[in-house]
Amino acid sequence: MNGAKKIVLAEDNSMLSMLLKFKLEKEGYTLFIAENGKKTIELIEEHNPELILTDIMMPFVSGLEVISHVRNTLNLLTPIVVFSAAGQEQIVLKAFDLGATDFMSKPLSPNELVLRVKRLLS
Amino acid sequence: MNTYQILTDYFNHSPTIIQGAWIIIGLFSILIIGLVFYLKYLRGHLRKKERISAAYEQEYESALITYLYAGNEEEKISSEQQAIIDLLKNDAKEPFKRKILIAVLVKLKNEISGEVADSIQNLYYQTELVDYALSRLSHKKWFVIAKGIRELKQFQIKEAYDQVIIHLNHPRPEVRKEMQLYMVNLFDFEGLTFLDLLETPLSEWDQIQLLEIVQKLENQNISNITSWLHSSNDSVIIFALKLAKIYNQLEAKNEIIQLLHHRNKKVRLDAIDVLSYLNVLEAKEILKTDLEKRSQEEQIAVFKMMENLYESDDESFIMKYINHDLFEIKIMALKILKEINREKFCALKIESVNDPYLRIVNFIENN
Repeated sequence: MNGAKKIVLAEDNSMLSMLLKFKLEKEGYTLFIAENGKKTIELIEEHNPELILTDIMMPFVSGLEVISHVRNTLNLLTPIVVFSAAGQEQIVLKAFDLGATDFMSKPLSPNELVLRVKRLLS
Repeated sequence: MNTYQILTDYFNHSPTIIQGAWIIIGLFSILIIGLVFYLKYLRGHLRKKERISAAYEQEYESALITYLYAGNEEEKISSEQQAIIDLLKNDAKEPFKRKILIAVLVKLKNEISGEVADSIQNLYYQTELVDYALSRLSHKKWFVIAKGIRELKQFQIKEAYDQVIIHLNHPRPEVRKEMQLYMVNLFDFEGLTFLDLLETPLSEWDQIQLLEIVQKLENQNISNITSWLHSSNDSVIIFALKLAKIYNQLEAKNEIIQLLHHRNKKVRLDAIDVLSYLNVLEAKEILKTDLEKRSQEEQIAVFKMMENLYESDDESFIMKYINHDLFEIKIMALKILKEINREKFCALKIESVNDPYLRIVNFIENN
């Protein structure tokens, strides 16, 4: 697993993060799970992942702040995919302004997510 | 003399009021001590329940994840999946565990779509949780029924249609609201057919929620709304008018024109608004003929409509209202006149000797 590409997944729904972890690990990726924005930033700084998957709404530090930190403080070009719920279109636009690469709306399809991850990491 | 005797003597020789006070103090002390112990027990009990609940939640979460990934292509349900189903089915017999299990399923179902969502729904059937939800629909307590309908909506159990629709005119608005959301969430525009039979009022909040859902539907082909415009339930007509406006239902214009003479003022006002939005000129002509008989709000609504639909032929009609007592009507009449015949409008400045009126004319001219 040492050569496996690293992904940081920031999601406060433990069930969803567990499900996506299983799904993506099955595809050969190494997953680091954070249940809030603060831990996400710590994991990104510690592991320097190839991809970041983040929910927009999270406790303590939001997905937008995570994107801003990655792009403006860490100056990283790591692709960032944001998850948003219906009605968060304006926040998604802000996420793109801050440097998000892609977005997926909830409820999300794990199979579609895997396809997007493969495309971004190919 | 020991302490007990001193206290007894003191109590016996005290005036009655002091004795009464001591008795009350004693009783309250016992009560407070009792309550402190009870709260301590209650807190301990709740914490224990919370711990047990968290443990079950964790157990069910891992069981669910295992179930979702234990499938294989050869069998519809693998042996490992069947073992999980049996375990969950057995646990679901206890209301406490059932509640946690449902919460776990909902927690993931709301966030996921596609095959995984279908598998969760399948598990809901396999564990017979659906039967518990269906049995709630015939419960005598209204909140149990409402929760049952909500659960069936969350798990998209379309088969429960007949059992849910019977609560269409339930005395409690909470049950009716859940029934309505079930219908629209699961059957899209077709689900709105409950409006044909709705006898109870559809509140403004209910209407907002229904509109929010229908506007997010992928298929935006709205069903025929004309029957709702003829409803004996005024709130259904008002909701249908909202749909007519949002979905530009010009084909329903004749029915909406008929509503200009409805007995309910709110319906008449909304009908004027929708007809104005749909640019129905016939409506304007009808309203011009009986404007004086209408309420002030309707007259204002008609002038708002005319601001949108004015024609040069309207000049003589408008001239009758440029000195109307009602400020809003006067302003709108002058604005329309300015658009139809600017010369005549400007002539008002010369003819007018009334200073406040002149100020109004000048304001409209410059804006």
